[in-house]
Amino acid sequence: MSQNEMAIKHKKMSGEKDQSDPPRYFVRLNFNERAQHMIFVVSFIVLAITGFMVWIPETTLDLLGGAKETVFTVRSVLHRMAGTAMILVSAYHFYYLIFKPAGRRWFVDMMPRPKDIKEFIHNMLYYIEVKEHPPEFDRFSYKHKMEYLALIVGTGLMSASGLILWAESFWDKFIIDIAALIHGMEAVLACLAVMVWHMYEVHLRPHKFPVDNMWLTGIIDEAEMKEEHPLHYKKIMSDPKLRKIYLTKGPKQDE
Amino acid sequence: MHIMQRIVQKSIKMILSLYSKSLVIAFIAVCSGAVTGFAQPEAAPDEENCLICHRYPNLGRYDEDGTRRIYYINGVLFGNSVHGKVRCKGCHTDLDKIPHDEVKVVDCATQCHIKEPSSNLDFSHKNMVKKYENSVHGQAADEKKKFPEDLPTCTYCHENRSYNPYEGIWGKSAALALETLARCQACHTEKDWTEEIYAHFTHRMRRQREQDEIVRLCTSCHENEQKMMRHGLEVVSTFKDTFHWTMVKYGVKNAPDCISCHVPVGYTTHEIQHRTDPVSPINTRNRVKTCSNQGGVQECHPRATADFAEGRVHAYGSKVQLLTAREAVIAEAEAEAEDSVMLVRARKEVTDEEIFYYKVLSLIRLAYQVLIGSVIGFMVVHQLLDFRRTRKKMKTEGIHH
Repeated sequence: MSQNEMAIKHKKMSGEKDQSDPPRYFVRLNFNERAQHMIFVVSFIVLAITGFMVWIPETTLDLLGGAKETVFTVRSVLHRMAGTAMILVSAYHFYYLIFKPAGRRWFVDMMPRPKDIKEFIHNMLYYIEVKEHPPEFDRFSYKHKMEYLALIVGTGLMSASGLILWAESFWDKFIIDIAALIHGMEAVLACLAVMVWHMYEVHLRPHKFPVDNMWLTGIIDEAEMKEEHPLHYKKIMSDPKLRKIYLTKGPKQDE
Repeated sequence: MHIMQRIVQKSIKMILSLYSKSLVIAFIAVCSGAVTGFAQPEAAPDEENCLICHRYPNLGRYDEDGTRRIYYINGVLFGNSVHGKVRCKGCHTDLDKIPHDEVKVVDCATQCHIKEPSSNLDFSHKNMVKKYENSVHGQAADEKKKFPEDLPTCTYCHENRSYNPYEGIWGKSAALALETLARCQACHTEKDWTEEIYAHFTHRMRRQREQDEIVRLCTSCHENEQKMMRHGLEVVSTFKDTFHWTMVKYGVKNAPDCISCHVPVGYTTHEIQHRTDPVSPINTRNRVKTCSNQGGVQECHPRATADFAEGRVHAYGSKVQLLTAREAVIAEAEAEAEDSVMLVRARKEVTDEEIFYYKVLSLIRLAYQVLIGSVIGFMVVHQLLDFRRTRKKMKTEGIHH
């Protein structure tokens, strides 16, 4: 029901203003960023599945019968391959942040600011209906910044502890114990956080259900841009340089 | 009518006579052992004629304690077992009367009537029993052992296993075994004897138990909390917190089970010593060798350094937990006689370093538990609020438009 309503609403909102102009779309993720995200998603899923397989109880494993050993070998190889992919894409991301203009813009926009705390409080008040309107978010809101910080810290911890466990003979057993503990606990934290925070944001939010395909197209329409990132919208519209970067003609495929 | 009656009477008579005849035949057959349906044919030469009774699967009784005892011997299986050539009375020495009265438990140190071929003396497991008695599992090692009934006896682990079928050894095909056997039999024409000797030699060249079977065997005692507490030992579930167990769980070939580290190449299960003993493979002095498993089927951690090898392999268990517990818990343990064994051993064996490591690990675990609880809790509340508000906004906007 909500999808139809939203579609009508979107049509109205984008249609009413400038009837003559073609609909405008805004770039949220460029191709490079989408590719990074894609590699990260695939490696994350493979790592989660092959990683938590270590904790499957013995009785459940008996269902596999004679295939157990093969499953373990494949699991071990896949986990290391996916881990390597994740470390490489993370390393590339740092390169991207420093050496690419789009990456530098990303870095600047992602920096935490005092404004984020204000916006967070404002948003909480909006949720409990003290305020009537949500805060005017910029390109990245406190939600994105928190998630991004968690992602960087989490990937760092998982990569470091994973590499220590991979080269187990070089370390003091105590270091290995710490690495194993952190690797397991951080995995639980990361997976739960992704499920609650990220999955909700892109799948379960009322007007995003069943999936927000921005992660594939990289663009959103004007109505969504105005609603979710009003400050960024204003900045783009008032700055011809930003217009050049973020405004796009729209999806090539038909809607 | 007459004819009908006659026919019926005759047929009844015939059936009855056939029935009685067949009963007699069946009785004779049972007595002579010709009916193979429920009695096994003799396989091993049964000179003492024990199987005349013991081949019947129903032979058994409930003893004074109400325990069900089965006296059935499967002749074929026994004949193919490691003891298949030993006479019954070689081990059961006091079975002179029939029906047997009070029977002693078999003592594995008995000299049975098998000649040990290297010395031509009567064979006995006496040597092994002696070594075993001096190991951690034996009674002689530590005279203060209070609960001798907890200690495993020979038969707890040894079940008189059958010889292996002529399968390949170490991944080689079964054809190799048959070819080798054929070569033996070229000179040693006594077929049964050659097969027996071949089986005897190759018996030791293969693992008798899979890794998970070993773990199950050891844990059948070492997982029993009360039993371990009495002796001041940790429950072996600490092993199941390691990646070693994960590999065993997945049935990985040569995965490290209990004996991989506690009885590596060059040691025997019967001589396991406490880890403080310099001969123990898990004594810190011998750890590098044990971890790298030199001379084993595979090298486990070939680059193992002393730092790596000397750490604690099992997860931190009840001893460290007891030592780091609050004063009240320690006092309680001291008050209880059984627990004090644990406390005494814990104080003697756990180093300050281990206590520090345990505390650090516990702290990290606690920090993560708090972090997971608070972060995920915050996220759930945040998203529920968002869901509620977004739905509401959509509704009101829907009305407006």
